[in-house]
Amino acid sequence: MLEVRALHAGYAGSEVLHGIDLRVGEGEGVIVLGPNGHGKTTLLRAITGLLPVRSGQVLFEGRDITHFRADLIAAAGIVHIPQGDLLFPEMTVRENLLMGAYHGPSWSQRKPRLGRVYELFPWLERRGGQLARTLSGGERRMLALGRGLMAHAKILLIDEPSLGLAPLATQQIYASIQQIKRAGMALLLADENANHVEGLADRVYLLETGMLVREGPAEKLLQDTAVLESYLG
Amino acid sequence: MHNTQLVQAVWGGVLFGSVYGLMALGLTLVWGAVRLLNLAHGAIFIVGAYAAYWVVASLHLPILVALPVGVLTAAAFATMMHVLFIRPVIGKRGFDNATLVATVGLSISVSAAALLIFNPQYKVVPPVLKGSNNVAGVEITYQGLLVIATSLALFALVYLFLTYTRQGMAIRAVSQQQEAASLMSIPVVRTYGVVIAISGALAGLAGVLLSPFYFLNPSSGFNPMIQALIVTIFGGLGSIRGALVAGYVLGIFESFVEVYFGVAWALPGVFLLIILMLIVRPNGLFGIGEVRRL
Repeated sequence: MLEVRALHAGYAGSEVLHGIDLRVGEGEGVIVLGPNGHGKTTLLRAITGLLPVRSGQVLFEGRDITHFRADLIAAAGIVHIPQGDLLFPEMTVRENLLMGAYHGPSWSQRKPRLGRVYELFPWLERRGGQLARTLSGGERRMLALGRGLMAHAKILLIDEPSLGLAPLATQQIYASIQQIKRAGMALLLADENANHVEGLADRVYLLETGMLVREGPAEKLLQDTAVLESYLG
Repeated sequence: MHNTQLVQAVWGGVLFGSVYGLMALGLTLVWGAVRLLNLAHGAIFIVGAYAAYWVVASLHLPILVALPVGVLTAAAFATMMHVLFIRPVIGKRGFDNATLVATVGLSISVSAAALLIFNPQYKVVPPVLKGSNNVAGVEITYQGLLVIATSLALFALVYLFLTYTRQGMAIRAVSQQQEAASLMSIPVVRTYGVVIAISGALAGLAGVLLSPFYFLNPSSGFNPMIQALIVTIFGGLGSIRGALVAGYVLGIFESFVEVYFGVAWALPGVFLLIILMLIVRPNGLFGIGEVRRL
């Protein structure tokens, strides 16, 4: 459903991604593994329109969305949970969630969607009136995830779910993502290590210095001793 | 005698306060959401006022027809400003300088255009409500009461809009975390346009309602603009609560100084108060500073 072809992108003066080819199928869990600073965040940002694409193509459900504005890509159903969560700090937990459902068709569904997110993270309901900036790191990540689920997501792009989290919060986050995956959601996960991706990953790409160096089914690649040494921290 | 002075001071203060608040509301809204210091706010004010004047003087229609025309014309004018001068530089380096120069330039152009179209004479815009009531020797005009009520109602409306509606919440979202807002499929630039149009409508409404007090000439936008700036800085740039409180604090303070110490002390007194306040709270009463937003 999502396909990236020969994608080049980067920042002023320096190209970060040198021709990425990648695809995610319906309901598939795809993990891009790579060390910090090798272009995982850049890849997700280029796909969702936060960063201009220099050359190459991004196709979604057969449609070329390469140079679409970020809000239109989001409206098409690609939901990006960004690095650093990027919550609305002066808005309450509930308001943050509601903004996830901003897009017209989602807005009319906001009540049932809230119900579903509260099922996944019951504490969000109890603390709906709290300002987002007062939450802890783990709580922020869960709110960011919940906010993403308020939209009509066809695929979820998650940038390093465990970045900066304590072990317990990390476990909780991955357990929630497992649940989302089991419900049939397609996932594109960028991660630094392979510790938690078992059961999430159907296919794995290895990203090094802006290029995808290997690709394969998760069970095969994650057994590979060389890969294990590099990516199991 | 004593009573008259007190009533005069309170009435004048509440009226000034409402006027200041009404002007400051649009200015602070745009700063809070777009981080744009709109120095054309006074120009938009007279665009609304002249449009209403034209409807009354040339079309001979009642002021109740002219009022919405003035408001809509001001909103349309603000939207045009957004499309021509603000939108092209959003997200570019030099946004602050470019928009400051553009909005000052637009103000000068509007004054010049008003001079050419309407000549420099003072114009009279009729009040929406005529008549007055004498309370302890002070004329309480119905138009004044209308201004006070309108100002308070608009503050309440804007607050409710920003807190409870989808569009209002999106405005806050864009002002707090623009990138996340676009990931929530909120069209950022169009949302800026909505804020600027609302602010323009507020300035236009102020223009139509206040012109019966001040009369109207090509430079009438200047004083309300400066007052709005002062109120906004005093209350804290970008803070709506700040604009409301600061409007009344400054209005009532000015009025009391005027009544009890003489008109000559009013402006120096206001500036002294502002200087003292800014020493204590550099970001204003409810200043959101650089980090926090709407």
